[in-house]
Amino acid sequence: MARAPRRSLRITANVLGVIAFLIAIFPVYWMVNSSFLARNEIRNPVPTWVPFGGDLDNYRTVFATDQFVNALKMSLMVTVLTIAVALAFAFVAAVAVSRFRFRGRMSFIITLLVIQMIPVEGLFISQYKMLETMDLLNTVIGLSLVYVSLVLPFTIWTLRGFVAGVPYELEEAAMMDGCSRTQAFFRITFPLLAPGLVATGVFGFIQAWNEFTLALVVMTREDQRTLPLWLSTFTDVNRGTDWGGIMAGSTLIAIPVVVFFLIVQGRMVGGLTSGAVKG
Amino acid sequence: MSDRAPRRRRTPLPYALLLPAVAALALALGYPLVRQVVLSFQDFGLAQQFGQPPTWIGVDNYRDLITDPYLWRVTLRSLAFCLVNAAVTMAIGVGLALLMRHMAKGVRVLVQTGLLLAWAMPVVASLTVWQWLFDTQYGVINYLLTELGFDFVGHPWLLRPLSFFFVATVIVVWMSVPFVAFTVYAALTQVSEDMVEAAEIDGAGALQRLRHVVLPAIRPVLLVVGLLQVIWDLRVFTQIFILQQAGGSTRDTNLLGTYIYRLGIGGGEFGMAAAVAIFMLALTVILTAPYVRAMLKQERESL
Amino acid sequence: MRIKKTLAVAAMATLATATLAACGSDDGDDGSSSDGGPKTADIRVWLNGTDTPQDARDWLKKTFEEQNPGSTLTIEQQEWDGLVEKLTTALSSESETPDVVEIGNTQAPTFTSAGAFADLTDQLDGLGGDDLLPGFVEGATVDGKTYAVPYYAGSKYIFYRKDLFKKAGLEVPTTLDEFVDAAVALKQANPKPANFSGFWFPGQDWRNGATFIWDAGGDLATDDGGEWSGSLASAESVAGLETAQRLFTEASGAPKDGNEADPWTPWCAGEVGMMSTPGWVTGLINDPKTGCPDTLGKQMGVFALPGSDGEPAPVLLGGSDIAIAAKSANRGLAQKAVALMLSDDYQTIMAEAGLTPAKNSLAPLLGDDEFAQATIAAASNAKLTPAAPGWANVEGSRVLEDLFSAIAQGGDVDELAAKADEQMNEQING
Repeated sequence: MARAPRRSLRITANVLGVIAFLIAIFPVYWMVNSSFLARNEIRNPVPTWVPFGGDLDNYRTVFATDQFVNALKMSLMVTVLTIAVALAFAFVAAVAVSRFRFRGRMSFIITLLVIQMIPVEGLFISQYKMLETMDLLNTVIGLSLVYVSLVLPFTIWTLRGFVAGVPYELEEAAMMDGCSRTQAFFRITFPLLAPGLVATGVFGFIQAWNEFTLALVVMTREDQRTLPLWLSTFTDVNRGTDWGGIMAGSTLIAIPVVVFFLIVQGRMVGGLTSGAVKG
Repeated sequence: MSDRAPRRRRTPLPYALLLPAVAALALALGYPLVRQVVLSFQDFGLAQQFGQPPTWIGVDNYRDLITDPYLWRVTLRSLAFCLVNAAVTMAIGVGLALLMRHMAKGVRVLVQTGLLLAWAMPVVASLTVWQWLFDTQYGVINYLLTELGFDFVGHPWLLRPLSFFFVATVIVVWMSVPFVAFTVYAALTQVSEDMVEAAEIDGAGALQRLRHVVLPAIRPVLLVVGLLQVIWDLRVFTQIFILQQAGGSTRDTNLLGTYIYRLGIGGGEFGMAAAVAIFMLALTVILTAPYVRAMLKQERESL
Repeated sequence: MRIKKTLAVAAMATLATATLAACGSDDGDDGSSSDGGPKTADIRVWLNGTDTPQDARDWLKKTFEEQNPGSTLTIEQQEWDGLVEKLTTALSSESETPDVVEIGNTQAPTFTSAGAFADLTDQLDGLGGDDLLPGFVEGATVDGKTYAVPYYAGSKYIFYRKDLFKKAGLEVPTTLDEFVDAAVALKQANPKPANFSGFWFPGQDWRNGATFIWDAGGDLATDDGGEWSGSLASAESVAGLETAQRLFTEASGAPKDGNEADPWTPWCAGEVGMMSTPGWVTGLINDPKTGCPDTLGKQMGVFALPGSDGEPAPVLLGGSDIAIAAKSANRGLAQKAVALMLSDDYQTIMAEAGLTPAKNSLAPLLGDDEFAQATIAAASNAKLTPAAPGWANVEGSRVLEDLFSAIAQGGDVDELAAKADEQMNEQING
């Protein structure tokens, strides 16, 4: 009896899914399309829909110097350090606020919320001063430090939601089976948090990967540029912006994010297949 | 329900677990945040940045700010923009996440990949492409609509404020939906199939299952994600800033993000910028108060 | 229990590492605080974008290091994008500040009045004195002290379609009135495409629009004993704005709220009869990847916009200044580097790359083709934006973009100008 509505739901879901995919992907497609075109084909009264007749010139420009590879290395270091530290710190903090009752717990939670609400856009002047006194300007550690503080409140909050979503009864059951509390946590709860770690990890990755203003003021040396800074070298007010270069560069910048996602995405559905959560 | 935990024993462990996060936040944000408050009571401009001693001016920055009638017009405009965008983003994002559970695996991977690509696209590129799509002279959208038989030759999408904000909403929603859909979908994977099926056997319809089983289970994540949308959409900056350069009237399309940038940082008036940041914080706190109360209530109950 | 402890220890250890690194070596002052700085040092020069040719960079480094044995000169490449934020932070830092920086000539007043740069007044005569581009020096002077010197300029001139001029029976105009009439006539003679421009004039383009204000004897803002105020609503300025409105409504097919980016696109699409753009646009129109060298590129002619009096019209001059950071510990050596960058040898390399040199006497180096002549003529009557302390705020709030865009849409000029003056007055004095 329930089968008929299920099928129509499935069909609706698939149709809407394809529409959502097309809307999401079109600007991305346009970026990739433009990356194969010459500048006078990118902007033209008649749009060029498919890059037939296009070439790899824009990519050649990108790889003409070793700047891209340099910036890639820089961005990878900053981003990996940022999400490793942020996830580790946030994970333990999330466990603390969702599995323990202690003094100061509510103040911590409220503080996180308020920090999340503070407009950070104007902080770069002070953050620069701070890194200057710590002697961390033009260093990977310095930039990562400010990035960690940028993603940490959100990451703690979200992971807290995921930890809270795993009923404590599951751990209790495991403890009755002879596990210690810690063992119970890591055997039962931790695997269920994988989707949360993936979601917050992707969030942190993209934030750190694409951040511009802080990187701009902290990393002033040419060999310390991150990818978004490198990308901005294609905008030149006195020479006209090289849109082909921007689009080719952007395409290349997006690839590692996709690779990262493909590596971790299996985890996103992995959580529940064990069927551990019983209502 | 709330008192079954073993964690009532006094133990220093939770503090040790919080220490790294607290220390990192204090280290990276402590000084800048304190300084932000101090600056808001000072006349601190570029000259002070380069070494001149700042002067204390009490609440002058705040007074100048709130006695400016234009600010309140912009504030109202921003509130409306924020609520519409946050609501649309949440509706589409949560809707997609829910639908993803019912999609064929191939379609789901397709949607996830599409969303991820949209999310991963560097902001410079996505804003440029959106500008091209809506361009007056060479825009792809005008071209398409004209091909379809409508007269959209040279249609100026950004000229009128309402149309401008429509374009801005399309872009903002497009950029924010992936985050919402991903995070909510991740939360949904925690909801047990068994529970949903049990409800079904009890005779609950699809909507009832959604309301009574699925949504309560992902409530914590929904609250965080929704709150973030409100916060982000209230201070939306880059999208508006870039669109204003492409067309439209700046004064009629300023939102808080762009207006305060021009009031403070853009002109190097950091004291004013700091006062504005605190004004924004206050506004955000007021706007999100019901949300936050719900979150905190749930927080108290959760242990 | 043991695992718990391990976890806590591990967390703390991670943190401790971060903190230790954070408190790492602090060089402090090297004690050489005397005005001229140490005898030898590494001089760091920030150059923006790709304007300075590689030959000039090589020459500068080699010559500086030959003349100052033991010292080195490092050129650090920066971008125009985000430059103000970067200078705001870096110039305030004793340890990170570059010694010599290039800065856009319209950005300079913001920093000169804030004390970010070292005083160059004493050096001025040695660097070229009255031979330096006058508008630039003026724009970098506060209370009689000069904090920056011109590096190069780039002026705008009019590009026109020779074939369309011929077809419509038009001559190169010799006065502003003739120019406006020619623009309107071109538009009428070319009904297709519908967005054809006799003069391509996007609504936000106040930088070209200012020319008409200045030519009519008006000004963007005036200085009355240190107190600045907008003067867009003066009778002269309004007359100029009305000329602009005529061009917008009768001669231009460009978007009424558009900006002036990528002018080669409409040019190559055959939508432009005349346009006023920087000289480097020539190169892009003649580049097969960007423009249309084989078709409409061949029809390109240039002239300097004539004023009402037949002399070159006043145009807004773009370009760069060069300055020494106030916090530079190597002021003496930095001055030597600046002197080299303004030397005839260095400026010759710049001129050969098509940049208007920093000194009037070197202008002939640009050559004598029509492009060079138009450049020299346009630069001879160049104007800069008002050197008011709050001018950056005025530009930031886009009062002028809004004004010109509203005028382009056919609004009442008197009313709009008065409103713009009012908005400008709130910000222009800082």
